[in-house]
Amino acid sequence: MRHAIVTTLGLLCAFGLGAARADAVDAATHEHAVRIAVGTCGSCHGPTGVSEQPKYPRLAGQNANYLAAQLKAFRGQTRGDADAIGYMWGMAGTLEDDTIDALAQYYASQKAARGHAGDPALVARGREIYEKGVESVGVPACAACHGPDAHGMGDFPRLAGQHAQYVMKQLASFQSNMRNVAVMHGVAQGLKVEEMRAVAAYLEAQQ
Amino acid sequence: MNLDRKGLAIAARILAPILVMLAAPAAQAVPSFARQTGMACEACHTVWPELTHFGRVFKANGYILDNLKQVRGVTAQKEEMLSLASLPPLSLMIQASYTSVAAAQPDSSGTGTAQNGTVAFPQQVSLFYAGKIAPHVGAFLQLTYGNDSGTIGIDNTDIRVTDLKVLPGDQSLIYGLSVNNNPTVQDLWNTTPAFGFPYATSNNAPGGSFGTQIDGARAQDVAGVTAYAFWNESLYGEIGLYRSAKQGTAGPLDSKTTGGVVDGTAPYWRVAYEHNWGRHSLEGGLYGATFKIFPDLTGSGYGSPLTGPSDKFEDVAEDVQYQYVGDQHLFSVTATRIHEKQTLDATYAAALAAFNASGGTTTLNNISNDLTTIRGNATYYYRRKIGGTVGFFQTTGSTDAALAPNSPDTKGWIAELNYMPWLNTKFSVQYTGYSKIDGLTTGTLGVTGRKASDNNTIYILAWLSY
Repeated sequence: MRHAIVTTLGLLCAFGLGAARADAVDAATHEHAVRIAVGTCGSCHGPTGVSEQPKYPRLAGQNANYLAAQLKAFRGQTRGDADAIGYMWGMAGTLEDDTIDALAQYYASQKAARGHAGDPALVARGREIYEKGVESVGVPACAACHGPDAHGMGDFPRLAGQHAQYVMKQLASFQSNMRNVAVMHGVAQGLKVEEMRAVAAYLEAQQ
Repeated sequence: MNLDRKGLAIAARILAPILVMLAAPAAQAVPSFARQTGMACEACHTVWPELTHFGRVFKANGYILDNLKQVRGVTAQKEEMLSLASLPPLSLMIQASYTSVAAAQPDSSGTGTAQNGTVAFPQQVSLFYAGKIAPHVGAFLQLTYGNDSGTIGIDNTDIRVTDLKVLPGDQSLIYGLSVNNNPTVQDLWNTTPAFGFPYATSNNAPGGSFGTQIDGARAQDVAGVTAYAFWNESLYGEIGLYRSAKQGTAGPLDSKTTGGVVDGTAPYWRVAYEHNWGRHSLEGGLYGATFKIFPDLTGSGYGSPLTGPSDKFEDVAEDVQYQYVGDQHLFSVTATRIHEKQTLDATYAAALAAFNASGGTTTLNNISNDLTTIRGNATYYYRRKIGGTVGFFQTTGSTDAALAPNSPDTKGWIAELNYMPWLNTKFSVQYTGYSKIDGLTTGTLGVTGRKASDNNTIYILAWLSY
């Protein structure tokens, strides 16, 4: 029952980002966005969105609508985790909607990469949580929203290949509500640190 | 070996600009960059002024990343004619300090000792314009009041024109020109002299007298144009030329210009490679410059028209930097070795003339000398809040009867503890210990029995930037 409520809430709210859509962009805007992506964003996220630094999320292959929604949340200063405040509020502060859409589509079109393989036992435990949730505390299966292969679904982000450190930090931010997303706050509240670590390790090992 | 008065005078004149420049403050990181980019200091700095990879790229791009609302001007053809930030990138910095030396320094009258425990309030106040000027032009301009000079003057300056090309495979090529007044102030790593540790030092503590030309000796004394390229944020190359650009001097440079004059132009070069993986960053590189200088032989200039032989200083340096930038723990190691080959034709010619005129009673300097400076530092910070640096430094070189009768060797170590309650405020305690100064373990500063360690210095600094 709790699983169903959480899932429904998630689908309804779509992380509060349901209105955000990455629209089609013209060639000039695309070129402008590529220049920003390679010349500015690339320093942290990698020129094609395959960040090698675990502090910064991998963006290659990410859901375009999710990316557009996040950039708009940074611009509107409504996403409040620490690195969003310190880095992305400023970085996205003056981005135009069409540039945001072009950036989102640029990263969505890039080839996603697999992360580190991780400890097999930890990855196996993470897979179990990802696919089945933690029934005893009402944590739903992550796969219900993020897809069976963690490639994301609808507006829910792709998680496969994401840096484990980044996933851990985001789960902590959901837990503390610094990143204020009701659905994920509920999910993260029920997870112990070792369970988060296992899920993060599993996700990082996927492609 | 005794140093006669003539030789001492020549040495003092050659070394004077070096001593002055070594006391010059290091360049700073400034909050106007944070205002302009909307990003916290941590994006560009581990702890300022040490740069992160992103900070290095920001600098290479010419300080132009701007996330503020712009006042724009465009033509009907969509050509951008103006892009002014809604806030000018201005910053203010103040340093206040206290310096205590292990044993009071000798009084300038030649007898007794000076007061020990010196308050500098302020030691330095600087006003910066640091940020974008136009879409492809940015600047780091610093005006400084120093308590030692009691005047306001130009400090480190770096004006850049840059552009970016996206190469096939989504690789980047940042390229541009830097016009600056301090060789290495434009460099991206914290291994090179202008932005190397220590970032602030006392301006009334003793120390070694000898340094290489590229090691700050020509800071704010020259102007140069350099061209650089940074490929894929990894491979960096730069070449340029510097020429004397004196401050406080009217008219063309001539026989009475103090502090030495560059003969023609001085070539500067730099190559470096940086590799980043995970939270790690590793850089290795080479840099150098060759200065031909008409020395200040008389204390009030070269003493004759600026032609004929000059002194040649060929500096070649290696550097390496490692950084680990975690959320909780930050660690970095920097090291550089600068080797200088000196060919002192002008100084020798003057010394030879004096030697002949005196009937052979004065001391001749060597025609050729060498000087090598090595510095290494390790820095740790916890949550960018509290941390410190330990390091060593040494300068060694050839003994010169006139210029460095006891050898130019200075050796010591330095430790600094920092507390940063906020990212733009730093409180430091720095300790510098010496085992040798100007080739002497005892008898330093011209005082019989004064040990090198008597010059050990405690320096307490409050450093605020807004």
